[in-house]
Amino acid sequence: MDYSFGMSSFRLAMGLCLATGSAWAAPVEFNRDVRAILSKNCFACHGKDAKHRKGKLRLDAAEDAFASKKGVAAIVAGNVSESELWARINSGNPNEVMPPPETKKSLTAEEKQTLKRWIEQGAKYEKHWAFIAPKKSKVPAGEGNPIDAFLQRRLAKEGLKAAPLAKPETLVRRVYLDLTGLPPTPKEVDAFLANKSPKALEKLIDNLMQRQTYGEHMARYWLDLARYADTHGLHLDNERSMWPYRDWVVRAFNQNLSFDKFTRWQLAGDLLSKPTLDQQIASGFNRCNVTTGEGGSITAEWIYRNAIDRTSTAVEVWMGMTAGCAVCHDHKFDPLSTKEYYSMYSFFHSAADPALDGNKLDTPPILRVPRPGSAEKLAALDAKIKAVEQRIASAVVKIKYTDPASQTPLPKTITKEMIWIEDAVPPKGVAQGNTPWKFVSKPDPVFSGTKASVREAKGLSQHFFTGANPPLPIESGTKLFAHVYLDTLNPPKEIMLQFNDGTWEHRAYWGGDKIDWGNKDSVSRRRFGDLPETGKWVRLEVDAAQVGLKPGAKLNGWAFTQFDGKVYWDKAGVSSTTHPAKDPALSWTAWKVQAEGKRNKDLTEALRKRFKGKAPDKWTEAEETELRHHWLARVYAGAQKELTPIKTEKANLKKQQADIHKNTAVTFVMADLPKPRQSFVMLRGQYDSPGEKVSRNVPAFLPPLPAKPKERDYNRLDFANWLVDGKHPLTARVAVNRIWQQFFGVGLVKTSADFGTQGELPMHPELLDWLAVQFVEDDWDVQRLLKRILTSHAYRQSSRATPASLKRDPENRLLARAPRFRLDAEVLRDQVLSLSGLLVSTAGGRGVRPYQPPNIWEPVGFASSNTRNYKQGKGDDLYRRSIYTFLKRTAPAPFMTSFDAPSREQSCTVRSRSNTPMQALQLMNDVQHVEAARNLAQRILNADGADDNARIRWAWWVVTARQPDATEAKIIENVLADHRARFTKDTVAAKKLIAFGESKADPKLKPVDLAAWTLVANLLLNLDEVVNKN
Amino acid sequence: MNPAHEYHQLQNRRQFFQGAGLKMGGIALAQLLGQRTMATQATTTSEMHPALPGLPHFAPKAKNLIYLHMNGAPSQIDLFDYKPRLTEFFDKELPDSIRNGQRITTMTSGQKRFPVAPSKFAFERCGTSGIEMSELVPHMKGIADDITMIRSVHTDAINHDPACTFVMTGSEVPGKPSLGSWLSYGLGSESQNLPAFAVFTPTVKKPSQALFTRMWTSGFLPSKFDGVKLRSSGDPVLYVKNPPGVVPSDRRAMLNALGKLNQKTFERFGDPETQTRIAQYEMAFRMQTSVPELTDLGKESKATLEMYGPNAQKPGTFAHAALLTRRLIERGVRTVQILHRGWDQHGSLPADIKNQCMDVDQPTAALVKDLKQRGMLDDTLIVFGGEFGRTVYCQGKLTRENYGRDHHPRNFCMWMAGGGIQSGITHGATDDFSYNITRNPVHLNELNATILHCMGIDNSRFTFPFQGLDQRLTGVEEAHPVKAILA
Repeated sequence: MDYSFGMSSFRLAMGLCLATGSAWAAPVEFNRDVRAILSKNCFACHGKDAKHRKGKLRLDAAEDAFASKKGVAAIVAGNVSESELWARINSGNPNEVMPPPETKKSLTAEEKQTLKRWIEQGAKYEKHWAFIAPKKSKVPAGEGNPIDAFLQRRLAKEGLKAAPLAKPETLVRRVYLDLTGLPPTPKEVDAFLANKSPKALEKLIDNLMQRQTYGEHMARYWLDLARYADTHGLHLDNERSMWPYRDWVVRAFNQNLSFDKFTRWQLAGDLLSKPTLDQQIASGFNRCNVTTGEGGSITAEWIYRNAIDRTSTAVEVWMGMTAGCAVCHDHKFDPLSTKEYYSMYSFFHSAADPALDGNKLDTPPILRVPRPGSAEKLAALDAKIKAVEQRIASAVVKIKYTDPASQTPLPKTITKEMIWIEDAVPPKGVAQGNTPWKFVSKPDPVFSGTKASVREAKGLSQHFFTGANPPLPIESGTKLFAHVYLDTLNPPKEIMLQFNDGTWEHRAYWGGDKIDWGNKDSVSRRRFGDLPETGKWVRLEVDAAQVGLKPGAKLNGWAFTQFDGKVYWDKAGVSSTTHPAKDPALSWTAWKVQAEGKRNKDLTEALRKRFKGKAPDKWTEAEETELRHHWLARVYAGAQKELTPIKTEKANLKKQQADIHKNTAVTFVMADLPKPRQSFVMLRGQYDSPGEKVSRNVPAFLPPLPAKPKERDYNRLDFANWLVDGKHPLTARVAVNRIWQQFFGVGLVKTSADFGTQGELPMHPELLDWLAVQFVEDDWDVQRLLKRILTSHAYRQSSRATPASLKRDPENRLLARAPRFRLDAEVLRDQVLSLSGLLVSTAGGRGVRPYQPPNIWEPVGFASSNTRNYKQGKGDDLYRRSIYTFLKRTAPAPFMTSFDAPSREQSCTVRSRSNTPMQALQLMNDVQHVEAARNLAQRILNADGADDNARIRWAWWVVTARQPDATEAKIIENVLADHRARFTKDTVAAKKLIAFGESKADPKLKPVDLAAWTLVANLLLNLDEVVNKN
Repeated sequence: MNPAHEYHQLQNRRQFFQGAGLKMGGIALAQLLGQRTMATQATTTSEMHPALPGLPHFAPKAKNLIYLHMNGAPSQIDLFDYKPRLTEFFDKELPDSIRNGQRITTMTSGQKRFPVAPSKFAFERCGTSGIEMSELVPHMKGIADDITMIRSVHTDAINHDPACTFVMTGSEVPGKPSLGSWLSYGLGSESQNLPAFAVFTPTVKKPSQALFTRMWTSGFLPSKFDGVKLRSSGDPVLYVKNPPGVVPSDRRAMLNALGKLNQKTFERFGDPETQTRIAQYEMAFRMQTSVPELTDLGKESKATLEMYGPNAQKPGTFAHAALLTRRLIERGVRTVQILHRGWDQHGSLPADIKNQCMDVDQPTAALVKDLKQRGMLDDTLIVFGGEFGRTVYCQGKLTRENYGRDHHPRNFCMWMAGGGIQSGITHGATDDFSYNITRNPVHLNELNATILHCMGIDNSRFTFPFQGLDQRLTGVEEAHPVKAILA
């Protein structure tokens, strides 16, 4: 075979007779008409792949095809007779003709004509189709739904016909599973079958899209793209709090948030002006990437890697391009240069999160998301706090205060008390104990205030707190005191007070030496006497020095400890002797003349700022009064007795507020550093090899960004806006294609994550473009798009394949039949929960931990990881929808992974769909499925079936939405009889089977019956028809 | 849709169209397309899991692979890379000319000194080959003449997570298929009753570094190429056990009915996947028998059990996993991987590494000997090693008796034995400090290329299109098998 590229003898002869006749020709478009012909017949040897290229000729690139070599060019624009290509494809010489006979490829006459007309019209090559903005072509006449008009025109061309409509019972199950991820109930099936209106399907779709379950189902697909999970993913793989983002995605679908907003919020919600809570939560999309907190990691490397992940994910999700190659080198196939890649990377490179996640639940920047109703509660508390503060203020005004420093003669030394613990743990103190703190009020023994704490225990027991702030200062001569009441009937053997100034090694005890902490007869365990008298309040006092607390020490914690018995505790604090005139806690003058630093510690942050560097002689009269009131309220020891109860009230309110804040969900959000990082091309994708500087921009082969604002650089919001401005050639196509893929199993572009030149060409390009443009014209209305697809004949038709249709179109790309495929991991589990009646429909919240075999997490986890041990949930947690299952990236749940759910370590546009023995074992034997089978069996037995046959028909109806035929019913009947006979002989086995799982078997049912039906239900739930969308 | 999946679907269809066997009642399709093995009878698994066409690329030397991964990075300096001159350098600064400004982890980059810590363990030249090993691995000394010791392996990553991901998937970034998954995908399965790729993760005494399922899962390949983890407690294979109260005959009755009903579904929808599903349920049923049979050591001789050491019959130990590994290989399982944790000795290295070696030394040597005595070593390839090496300089306090070592990706030791690999040679060398490679470096990509070569695969032609790239186990750059160690 002569592959050389030379003049063909045939050309001249042919040229003459074909030179005319181009005038009638309709315009030929390269992408639409020509590329497929060249691709199918020529590119294998004359395409991109240099290795297999023959005759050094490329026909996929214009400059190559037009290049003249030895005076001959493959294509001469406008001149067929001079074009070697034309000569070769028409050559009668087997050594010259193209494609060569051994390739078994040949051009049809029609294809030849197309090529001819294309050359005659100037042989215009076009940019890669996906980089040209989609245009709406005219919808072919015929079918009402444009989808069908396009598809059926193609089918007609292929000599095929669309399949007849699927049976309504098949269709109704299909629609329910596709829109809600759950099967219809028998009642719902009945209702649909009974509705003969032509609008029945449309009504059903509208109804289903209103359901919470719709949002949950749609969100699941998006979470694969967003790589959402509940752990960091690397190293310790600790828990991260990201679930408010997951719940937002559900909400966004339920609210039918338009796709442009959906995009903007996620890529740049933080940059919107006055972003709402939801917009900020949505920006967490950018924070869903895996991160590490591994010791020894290099900061620069992880800043780089996190930015790469965010960039590549955004590009894959919205542009359907795999930008990964351009990290290291210019993209070999797509026009994306490394520089352009890093220009996009620059949008994400200044993220404010730390390079290492710190293995924390709440790696900043985070947002606290209040739970429903908590805003109102917080406001109510605020009002109460204001009222209490008002009461404090009026009490302060009423204080008749005379400064002891102004008295003559100066007063003598006195004892002052500072109460620290009264009716509550002091501010910021974290209450802990063997069992929680318990407070009682009168008529139980109470010494002062309104409450006392109490503890009744066997052996050693205590309640305590740490972390109190402000701390309790120890001065020279300080005595620690507390009031105690020992129960007469059940006195303790020992009581102990412990003080924490950073350590707990300061202990005082009374009574027997039962508690052996610290060293006996030292500051860490000193005896202060016998147990006090029972049945009355006694004041205990401890000299601070005797338990090793030196002046200047500060207490943050205090423990009330006992051995046996019942003990009440009340009012505790410190007392000390002092000169009133010199004591800043008693004399206003003494306080005022202190160094500023000492004064400051008594001031609030706001006051401290205002009075910074301002000496008392510079204070105005108003300022002096203000500070004096502050001092009276906060510092003056003489007022504390009166003020403490009100202050305690305030502390309690503050604590309630803090509790609400603590129960507030945390979610990672996106934010940029105030000063952006300079980005560089990273040579060969190495984090430590910066090359050329780059600035934020988009690739040149795509439409440009609008002019840069004068006052600032481009930011992520510009990037997001650019994606959804309606002119971007990729965004709408990619989105529409993914949704198509969701329902049909394969996208119109099969490579739904790759719209680049390496990706597959669209199967139905005009349909794809029509849908994409229409989607934009519909203001990116997702539900409208879904409805358009689901009401098409293509979707509603039967999925039955015949040998002929399989042979003709094995992948079903022409859609002469509906797709049929196995349900996704989550749908399989949710379906059995739903059919069994176990499903708990509670929405949202932190991920739950349903059944999981032992040793999924444990063998892979670090000892110090907080997700090392799987602690299975209880009750409802076992039966929630799968979207709410806690997802640990390094060890996802087997029910997910066995059925191809991704680990969410990276964005996943399309799941594979395997068919394995492991899946069979799981569906047959997993406790979740067996328990569901038993619950389904209970439903079957409790339904009003008259006999086995009626029950079989009902059960079949429930799981498949159709009636069994006689053979099917008979097979079930026989196997039921087998199982029943077996369990009648072995009732122990029957009881064992029905006890599997946390839910209890219905005691009204006979174990033998229930066990036999459980296996029948198990069989039904394993039917190919049930694990598939039909 | 995933191209690999699709390929296999096509395969299924093709087999479906071309296969021989069964009468499918009155189905026009079956008559049209010929017959097919009755799903409820024994089917060959190659039907479900065939080799790719054209694979192996050439006659393989090894049919099976055993990969013993010492997770956490064992110290080459204390095990296999003998450096007698180090004693002179005890507690002396690592010369700058050696360290050469190389990157070190932030765990030791703050250290003021980098004092040299010589190994406290005695080395010996072993067998007739004279391969050097330390007293930590007395049993491995006995197999020195069966292995190739590579002292010059190097990797890119300096921390565990990326390095473990790299050693098993050829990429630091999660999401790529593991070596075993690649082999299952390319070469298919030969076992009728067991998965093609099995994994053990023995329990270890001390808390240690994590493992990642990505070290044995299939990344972008379909999940049926995942390694199946054989577990030490509960069911050895997930869900292999029937629910309480259910006996095999119950299952058989249920499966008979299920098969018939699914057959009817096939008649209704004509979906070839339904046929595959019928076959997979039958495979599952066979596994319910074959897996317990696999783990039943009753027929192992006393001598064999003794060879693997005192823990041979204790589930969850490395020894038990090693013995099961041989049984798996005997039963046609393509790849077995044991991932043994606990080798990350930043401190107290001498005591900890000794414990680790107690776990693995005897069973590892036994596995090689056992395979050899059964004539299985010729077509089984064994690989032993970690994800990187450890530094010659001490991390933390240094004494003659106690020291720690930080991560060192620049060189470390791995050994290989069996099908396709030479016996009794040492390949590559490092400087006096085991800090830089001086001869014949072997990058992990080249090591993987070598493994593939032994299995009859040309790594450059073994690709899978994903994210716009023809992905390879051995990365984007060319990687060549290490010719010098090939038999």
